[in-house]
Amino acid sequence: MRLLLVEDELEIQRFLRQSLGEAGYEVDVASDGATASSLVSRFTYDGLIVDLGLPDQDGIDLILQLRRNGMQSPVLILSARRSVDDRVKGLEQGGDDYLTKPFAVAELLARLRNLLRRNSSGKEDVTKVRVMDLELDLLKRRATRGDDVLNLSPQEFVLLEYLCRHAGRVVTRSMLLSEVWGMRIQPDTNVVDVHIYRLRGKIDTEGRTPLIKTLRGIGYVLKNH
Amino acid sequence: MSSKTTRTVMRSAAWRISLWATLAFALGSMLVFVMLHQFVAGDIQRRSDAWLSGEVEVLGDVAERTPKDRLYSRVVSEVAELASKEVPNKQPSGGDENSSVFFLQTGTNGAMTLWVGRGDGQAELAAIRSTKSMADVPYDLRVKGFHIPFRVATVRIDDGSQIYLGLSERDEMRVLRALRIRFTGWYLLIVLIGFAVVFYATRRMLGFVRQITEAASRIGQSDLRSRVPASSHNDEIGQLARTLNHMLDRIENSMHQLHTMTDSLAHDLRSPLTAIRGQLELALLREVSLDQGEPIVSAIDELDRLCEFLNRSLDVAEAKADALRLSTVELDLDELVRVMVDLYEPCMSEKGLRVRMHSAGAAKVMADPALLHRVVANLLDNEMKHLRAGCTVWIGLSADEQFATLQIEDDGLGFDVELGQQIFEQGVKGRESNGHGLGLAFVEAVARAHGGHVSAGNREQGGAKLCIVLPTVAASYSLVRSEVEFV
Repeated sequence: MRLLLVEDELEIQRFLRQSLGEAGYEVDVASDGATASSLVSRFTYDGLIVDLGLPDQDGIDLILQLRRNGMQSPVLILSARRSVDDRVKGLEQGGDDYLTKPFAVAELLARLRNLLRRNSSGKEDVTKVRVMDLELDLLKRRATRGDDVLNLSPQEFVLLEYLCRHAGRVVTRSMLLSEVWGMRIQPDTNVVDVHIYRLRGKIDTEGRTPLIKTLRGIGYVLKNH
Repeated sequence: MSSKTTRTVMRSAAWRISLWATLAFALGSMLVFVMLHQFVAGDIQRRSDAWLSGEVEVLGDVAERTPKDRLYSRVVSEVAELASKEVPNKQPSGGDENSSVFFLQTGTNGAMTLWVGRGDGQAELAAIRSTKSMADVPYDLRVKGFHIPFRVATVRIDDGSQIYLGLSERDEMRVLRALRIRFTGWYLLIVLIGFAVVFYATRRMLGFVRQITEAASRIGQSDLRSRVPASSHNDEIGQLARTLNHMLDRIENSMHQLHTMTDSLAHDLRSPLTAIRGQLELALLREVSLDQGEPIVSAIDELDRLCEFLNRSLDVAEAKADALRLSTVELDLDELVRVMVDLYEPCMSEKGLRVRMHSAGAAKVMADPALLHRVVANLLDNEMKHLRAGCTVWIGLSADEQFATLQIEDDGLGFDVELGQQIFEQGVKGRESNGHGLGLAFVEAVARAHGGHVSAGNREQGGAKLCIVLPTVAASYSLVRSEVEFV
């Protein structure tokens, strides 16, 4: 998959290019709007990552201009601004996503994956999710591990569903807060961790292979192999 | 609905101004009329007194000169009757003219010697006798059986008899009554028209003021870009509108400056932080051994805390300047708080804290959900940091038509009493707090930006109590209207 990163800060450019490269993406980089426009007119990208504060023009103007010229690829907007512009909200409703700086790389990758998947195959319509011997029935809201039925609260079910859908990949606390609880907050306390511990207590019972792994300082992974 | 409109009109300044103006006008014109009425009444009386005095003089003369024979009474009666036909201000009274004038002569012993007029004259004689006879000046005489008084002039002739000539004040009163009736009719009409004109004019004038208020409160609540409608006239209202618009220009300008400053500050700090955080994460992912990873993890934690501190400081700074940018939606505070409590409850019970929530049901407010999430998270974080195991946190939510009230209480140590209401100040914190002293300043700032307020104190039984009051959706909508209605 080929991405265009439009970002003028060299440091951010460097580590993003590296992280995206390691995640298996091919990345082109533009440091300003003009370069980005000419690159988009010459190549086809599967997705764009655009910083709003570009030296020559506003990132939103660039996105709107590219859209007018027929570009359909999804855009992940990076913003260091304090308030979310109404136009960003418009783009978000149109299927694009935004991320406030500073962000966790894991979160950027997760959002990017979501965007690209949404674009390629539309919304997947599954009724069952399987990770190893863990199975979620999304219609009956029932979770089983092996032969055991797991006794989960509705909240825990949603949390586990999110982890399963991102099995094998890092999910951060702020991803969980925004996707499972629907809020963008940064608690001073380990509220999310306690939910994970409780969930782990129900899933990774004695004698079973632990599925939920903690990555200190980053987040969690639900192992899928 | 119409009674509500009536109440609104009666509370308006236009109504009050018109009422007072009309009252002053009505009293003034009433005073003028009373003076006019007295002048006219006095003038009419003077004329009839002059006539009476003249006539009684003539009658006295005639009575004196006519020999006291058989013809005496006939001659005097005829002269008296002739005189009664020349009554001034006389109105036709259905042929019953005698009732308006009488002539009475009494002898030296006071007995009646001659009577010309209606009836037998005994009632008149009795009335005259009971009156202390005044000299030559005509006086008022009330006669039994007549509700209108007579004006009586008297003359004494040489043979010792007394002559009385009485004139009913009926005609005089009729003239004055006609004057009063006509005046009252016109008076009411003019006062009503005057009231309507004043009301219309002030209402029209204050309508401009209302438009300005409406626009100004709209501007205060949402955007600073709109302006109050400028009147084309160069009068006081036009000047008010222009002055307000100038003021708004300046406010918008400084607000813009503030936003630009905080934005660029945020941007300038966040970009390097993003780069640092990214590098740290890369290093961490490139699997380092556990002892090497520990400092990186705590560095990332510190970075995140620094960012949250930066966000909060800038939010508080903007809110203190009433420049916090809100993207408000209609939301149910009950639902929002429940979700937050669900999120925090496991962690709190892990720490040995109990959480009790009691809510009176849905509480719709117009608010920025992201900010409210942060406010509630902040308060619950605080509870967790400051309470010892075994304490209980009570979260209560209630709402009336005007306000939704979120109350958070605990049975811990409570706030430092010496801090008082200063706890909402930036940088003020309790002795044992290791925070930045921004939390409650932020909570207060957000509540204020939403048109609400926060109060904090200690419970009587011990423990802290914090109350956040936000206007409900209904109150937010009616705010603009009520500000306008009371002009």
